[in-house]
Amino acid sequence: MKNVDFATFKPAALSIVSILFSLITGGIILLAIGKNPLIYFALLFTRGMGSSLGLIETIIKMIPLLIISAGLLACFSAGLWNIGSDGQFLIGAMLTGWAAPWLADSLPYPAYLVTIAFLGIFGGMAWILLPAVLKARYDINEIITTLMMSWLAINLVTWLVKGPINDLSTVPAQTTVIPAVYRLPMIPFTRIHAGLIIGIATLLGIHWVIRKTTLGYQFRVMRMNKKAAIHAGMCVPRLTVYGLLISGGLAGLAGAGDVLAVKGLFQAGWSPQYGMTAIPLVFLARLNGWAVIPLAFFFSFLALGGEFVARDLGVPVFFVHVLEGLTLLFFAASEYFEKKWIPK
Amino acid sequence: MNVFLESALITAILASAIRGTTPILLAALGEAYAERSGLLNLGIEGMMVAGAFSSFTVALKTNSLLSGFVCAAGVGLTLGLVFGILTITLGVNQIVVGLGLTIFASSMCSFLHRVIFGNQFPILFGAGGTNEIPLLSRIPLIGQAFFNQHWLVYLTFSMVPIMYVLMYKTRFGLRVRAVGEAPRAADACGVNIYGTRFFAILLGGLLASLGGAFLALGDLAFFVPDMIMGRGYIAIVVVMLGKWNPVKVCLGGLLFGFALALTSALQVAGIKISPDFILMTPYLVVIIALLLFARSTNLPSALCVPYKRGSDGQ
Repeated sequence: MKNVDFATFKPAALSIVSILFSLITGGIILLAIGKNPLIYFALLFTRGMGSSLGLIETIIKMIPLLIISAGLLACFSAGLWNIGSDGQFLIGAMLTGWAAPWLADSLPYPAYLVTIAFLGIFGGMAWILLPAVLKARYDINEIITTLMMSWLAINLVTWLVKGPINDLSTVPAQTTVIPAVYRLPMIPFTRIHAGLIIGIATLLGIHWVIRKTTLGYQFRVMRMNKKAAIHAGMCVPRLTVYGLLISGGLAGLAGAGDVLAVKGLFQAGWSPQYGMTAIPLVFLARLNGWAVIPLAFFFSFLALGGEFVARDLGVPVFFVHVLEGLTLLFFAASEYFEKKWIPK
Repeated sequence: MNVFLESALITAILASAIRGTTPILLAALGEAYAERSGLLNLGIEGMMVAGAFSSFTVALKTNSLLSGFVCAAGVGLTLGLVFGILTITLGVNQIVVGLGLTIFASSMCSFLHRVIFGNQFPILFGAGGTNEIPLLSRIPLIGQAFFNQHWLVYLTFSMVPIMYVLMYKTRFGLRVRAVGEAPRAADACGVNIYGTRFFAILLGGLLASLGGAFLALGDLAFFVPDMIMGRGYIAIVVVMLGKWNPVKVCLGGLLFGFALALTSALQVAGIKISPDFILMTPYLVVIIALLLFARSTNLPSALCVPYKRGSDGQ
């Protein structure tokens, strides 16, 4: 019994240890540039978690991370690498910013919300379709193609928002503002929008699909051993397309949600780069949907606290991304110790 | 357009194509060796950013371009060593390490840039000079384009045949290829797997970092945190297209250099294209090139597979 407990908690322990190591290394970096790491982390915690405002902001910021992570959960579980979720996010966001103002007038509110959700998913899927087909048909590395599509998206949406879909009545290049009544509703008695429920539901839904359904089983076999999957008669190309489309579609949905609930419009040069945070996060969660939730909270807390502290202490916001990169490196290294400690 | 202007335009396009190819080619040559030995280095993008930033900062502070390049070399070797220790010695997932290294190195450079320069983007005067080769540079049309470039350009292009001979005609090159194809067989023949792979990744780190340094010191004379803009990943594509052969890799690199130079030339020539479209071109070229050429690539068999003595050799 004792052994079983040990084995279940070890993955969590290794993830926590990698986060701790990255915080310690980050502290050393802060010392090296002449800042006091203790003050930095103390401020980080009081600002990010100490006030209800900070807490609400953290939870709002966590929502797109949850939805993107759900998608990454699906494709990473299948051994597929969608690294371009930022691009899919932007396409979903851009489509929403463009369509929501005029859809709001012509559709009843519930139908309008559903249409926007599908539009976001469609945008994300459209943007990953080419990498998915290339991977499935010709085994072309999807890391490269999704990244290239992502850069393409950044420039494409900038061009669109400066030209064809620009609201000419405003000075900055942006789409028409979505009226407050047509935004995503709030969860009753809170100031957090309904995206949280969608995010958690999607995440746990995908978790369930991966663990309990045939599709999820096939995904896992494909990740462990592609040859075995082929020999077992699984249609690997089709699975590849499914896995990537799910992750692209959800990244697009996250974009639609962020525009509809938080931003209210799409702006040139806006690229929050949630993907950069979501990738380390899903690894640290060890492809476990339940573990994604606290980690998403922690990372969005880091990002938000980092913004506050940047203003107070003069530690640039990029420091948070430094911590994320370090976490990923330490996490990768922890794989070695895991192998060493758990005999086959 | 008269004949004189036309030839000047051709020379300018050729020259900018060569300049644009250099950083990608440098990184790609190193990556070709790394991948041949079984290591997929996705940290190449981060290494290029680190090379650009460290060389620029050091050159600006010490007022010496050479110390900038030396510093970039050191940074590249260090990052290559980190990648090597994690993936070769510890044998952990190369893709995770590569992505982590890229995120870490590029955000660390943005971070340090803000710490050192604040919101300033200083320009390094004296950088970006060329070294004209006498006589050869007076060949009409191509002389100025090919023989009036930065010294690192000459070095990069002259490395192509050397790298080719090293890979295909020497015992060492055979070992690199053997380590990437059949590490167990190579080990049984007495080849030092770990040493060979370490050499390949150190070379990869060094060249990627120098590629970034060339962009900052040889081409642009300034540093902005997102200046590499995916060139590291483009280098990986170039290696794939060139099937790990230095000569073909060079041709692939030139393809991108020309595509870039042509689009900016079109803009200069007065054809009205939005700058956002110009920025899209390299990525479009990558995707189109992959569509056209990347059928059935024969990856080195042991790519991404860590080697462990006495394991069952998956």
